[in-house]
Amino acid sequence: MKAQTIKRWFNVHKWTSLICTVFLLMLCITGLPLVFYEEIDHLLGKDIELSELPAGSPEFSKDAVLQNAMEHIPGKEVKYIFWDADHHPHQMFVTLADSSEAPIEADHYLTMDERTATVLEAPPNEMDFMLVMYYLHVEMLAGIPGKLFLGLMGTLFIVAIISGVVLYGPIMKRFDFGMIRTEKSSRLKWLDLHNLLGIVTLAWAFVVGITGVINTLADPALEMWRSGQLAEMVSEYKDKPKIEGKLSSLDAAIEKAKEAAPGMEVSFVAYPGTLYSSSHHYAVYMIGTTPLTSRIIKPALIDAETGEFTDMRDLPWYLNTIFISQPFHFGDYGGIPMKIIWVIFDLATIIVLISGLYLWFARRKAKAAQLKRLLDNYESLTLTTVEEDAY
Amino acid sequence: MPTKKYYFNKTWEMPILLAVLTTIGLLLAIMGTGIWHILSWIVLSIPLYIMCKHGVKYYK
Repeated sequence: MKAQTIKRWFNVHKWTSLICTVFLLMLCITGLPLVFYEEIDHLLGKDIELSELPAGSPEFSKDAVLQNAMEHIPGKEVKYIFWDADHHPHQMFVTLADSSEAPIEADHYLTMDERTATVLEAPPNEMDFMLVMYYLHVEMLAGIPGKLFLGLMGTLFIVAIISGVVLYGPIMKRFDFGMIRTEKSSRLKWLDLHNLLGIVTLAWAFVVGITGVINTLADPALEMWRSGQLAEMVSEYKDKPKIEGKLSSLDAAIEKAKEAAPGMEVSFVAYPGTLYSSSHHYAVYMIGTTPLTSRIIKPALIDAETGEFTDMRDLPWYLNTIFISQPFHFGDYGGIPMKIIWVIFDLATIIVLISGLYLWFARRKAKAAQLKRLLDNYESLTLTTVEEDAY
Repeated sequence: MPTKKYYFNKTWEMPILLAVLTTIGLLLAIMGTGIWHILSWIVLSIPLYIMCKHGVKYYK
């Protein structure tokens, strides 16, 4: 590679890294506890113990369970209902808010026992440590603009990774993999560490970086789907105002969706007016039952007034991309050992970021010292000339 | 005299191997549970082991 080309890539690496490093450090640090979200809740004793049910207890419909949830916090509208049968059997999670169109920050989360139709947990709607970490990580507590900004920083991070890889070649050309020169200067030692950790974490950082950027596009993608495919599916309803009053039965809507998608399970139900549905429909999101097919999501739209089935289509590719990319960002799809692996890669990335920052400082300092030496020489030269002139 | 190809291989053999292993490891765990998870953990541990093996030289 020509010296000029290397210099150009060096500048790309320097500037993209400099701009995104602070934000990437924040993301790496807030991401650490988020990897263990479930386990931390468990440690904090937030686990819910289901009571033993006596034999012959009556069964409750989902409508009845939901009714009790809504009576627990009166005057709210339902946004979403979801289930996680593998990890939390017999539990139904209900999201309530002032309006189904209200932003996510004001949501109330209720955990219901499906067998007894009682409220298991209704945490106060306030920020705790993990939620602060979550909102910092996702949007820097600045809503959708914050999210998109982080997406931009993630894109710079990807460019920094690529330019870093390009520079790795010429730097390592005459050295063995993994060499760390400890005897020369601390700058060389840090440079070698930066190169080693950078090249080992390359694939992981690339995957987590790209999937993170993809996730930041969820809101515009949903908007695109709403005005495109969803609008097409509910075109007959386009002049109708948002549905009001009593909605048709949730149980019946789920039954209709199951008929339309045999062999699939319900992942969640989005209520009319939310981002994930029209203003007139239940959107019942069906998923496959194997680890691979559970990433393929299909919404069935059920008229929330008449309870009739309206339409069901595969999601467009851009929403599928977002759903499929999520586990690769969260690292939550391979048990606890996978989470530990995630943390080690994350810590290594933090060291890469900090060492990069240090290298930039050290280089500047070295350059400044060089400049000062030059100036000193120059000054003493001028001084001597002046002194000589005085004579 | 060492050729260009020699330098390329010497520099990139290990990075490419580690990137391929990481990618395979990440994909294995999504294919299924049980044995797939275990395979994934083993494969993903290799780059981390190599990183630590060389990284400790920093403290020497």
